[in-house]
Amino acid sequence: MHRRLVRHAFAVLSAALFLSETACSSVDQVKLRLPLKPKLPLRGNERIALAPFILVTDAEKAKDKRLQNVDVQAEFHRFLKKQLEKKTKFDVIETPPDVKLPTQNLNDLARAQEFWAAVGTQTSAELIVSGSLEFRVEDRSGYKSEEYQSPIDNRTYVRQVYVEQTGFVFDIVFLVLDGHTGEKLLQDEFKDFRQTGSKQRDELSGLFENLFSLENQILNTFVPRDREAERYIFTD
Amino acid sequence: MKPQRILTISLLVVAGACTSYSHPEKAATQIAFGTAVAKKGLWREAAFRYEQAVERSPNNAEAHNNLAVALEASGEFARALTEYKKALEIEPNNNYIRRNYARFAEFYTAYTKTTGKAAGAP
Repeated sequence: MHRRLVRHAFAVLSAALFLSETACSSVDQVKLRLPLKPKLPLRGNERIALAPFILVTDAEKAKDKRLQNVDVQAEFHRFLKKQLEKKTKFDVIETPPDVKLPTQNLNDLARAQEFWAAVGTQTSAELIVSGSLEFRVEDRSGYKSEEYQSPIDNRTYVRQVYVEQTGFVFDIVFLVLDGHTGEKLLQDEFKDFRQTGSKQRDELSGLFENLFSLENQILNTFVPRDREAERYIFTD
Repeated sequence: MKPQRILTISLLVVAGACTSYSHPEKAATQIAFGTAVAKKGLWREAAFRYEQAVERSPNNAEAHNNLAVALEASGEFARALTEYKKALEIEPNNNYIRRNYARFAEFYTAYTKTTGKAAGAP
């Protein structure tokens, strides 16, 4: 009898001790702004020249009438210049109109040290930005697996459903070159897909939706940015 | 000793553990204080408090998790990674820590890929 009582008491104590570990431990979800260091170590007030970009066009896709009305080069230049002027302390200039890219191959362009050094001398720019731009309509429609519960036997099955997904893709390869030596300092790619949805969005608004979603990443090449995130913390 | 009396003592133990805020030497106090300042966005101070908690209780997975979050918020990603790993070593099945780590790993992989280095590394 006495032994049973002790065993019972011990069980109660163990449960209470376990509870003391877990009962007062609670969790909260917090929002953080993750500080992102710039990809290039810069002073922040450099003179930066915006050179032309290579336009990547697929002959088949270029036939899409929606894309024929968009001057991707001009729109991107205008966007980039405005963002850099607004959100950095760079002295932003455009290369003179007579500056023509020596090649339409991105790898060769990145290696054209002499050409970039000459552009740097001509514009007195410490940094030059170039690269390639591709804006296209992409059809990602296709069959996808989906789980569903049968109303007949309440069991879960997997079925194939056709999902229509068409949207605009903006693929930017960024080259940042040293204006003094012509050497490539950084090459980075930014890509965004925006679904057109049920409403037929026009190509210009599609292009700018792509650009606005890439804005933070593009600027993070040059200046610190932050990104919102959510995490769990234990409160006690 | 009667079970009722043991139960009373046990409940007092629970209550005591939950009201340890007034004991700065305890890890729980440091965590509670760290969390209070973290909610105000003072992540450096929070990181300091969670470091104190980890020192006092090195096997406390929650303290390691919170420290990792505070380090992340302060941009010390390499140290945050170490702390998340320690937290998961201690409590591999804790869903909150696992979710935090998964989100951090996704961000950190993309970040190191673009910067080409472990950001926040000494």
